[in-house]
Amino acid sequence: MTTLNSTLLVISVYIFLVLIRVIMGPTIWDRLLGLNMITAKIIISIIVLAVLTERSYLLDIALVYSVLGFIGTVLIARFVERKGKI
Amino acid sequence: MLLILSNVMIAVALFFMAFGIIGIFRFDDFYSRILISSKVETVGFITMLLGMMLRTGWDYSTLKILLIGLMAIITNPLSTHAVARSAYISGYKTGREKKDRG
Repeated sequence: MTTLNSTLLVISVYIFLVLIRVIMGPTIWDRLLGLNMITAKIIISIIVLAVLTERSYLLDIALVYSVLGFIGTVLIARFVERKGKI
Repeated sequence: MLLILSNVMIAVALFFMAFGIIGIFRFDDFYSRILISSKVETVGFITMLLGMMLRTGWDYSTLKILLIGLMAIITNPLSTHAVARSAYISGYKTGREKKDRG
């Protein structure tokens, strides 16, 4: 089980690196891109945690999180595209 | 045997994600960055889910992970396309296009 623990550690380091890109991103679309990547990495870490602790209800949480992340990214992108009128 | 295979797949997925991180730091255009993030992230996601499916064995969890993978395959390019379309319609120009225009 040490593989899954180190996988969680490496994924958290990746999330931190993408957070640097979000903070220093020149435009708002770079920050949206970072939001999208962080959402994917959080879904992966939830799945790794579910396999590590053998609790299968965490996979439902990962499914709901993927749907909510998709809706959030698309809504913020359309909000910026139409200049405040959704 | 399945454990070794799943460990190899997890390592390959972590390598793909590392390439994605390097890509978003090295390119200086927004469109290059969003291209590299879309491609590499989707491949790393699918490879990681395959490794997890090999590790759980044949169970209900395998079908749930498969459902999450199908959801990610459908929605990840859609959200990337929405972000790129938003940048294009809002009039974002890269540095090269600005230099050409004047």
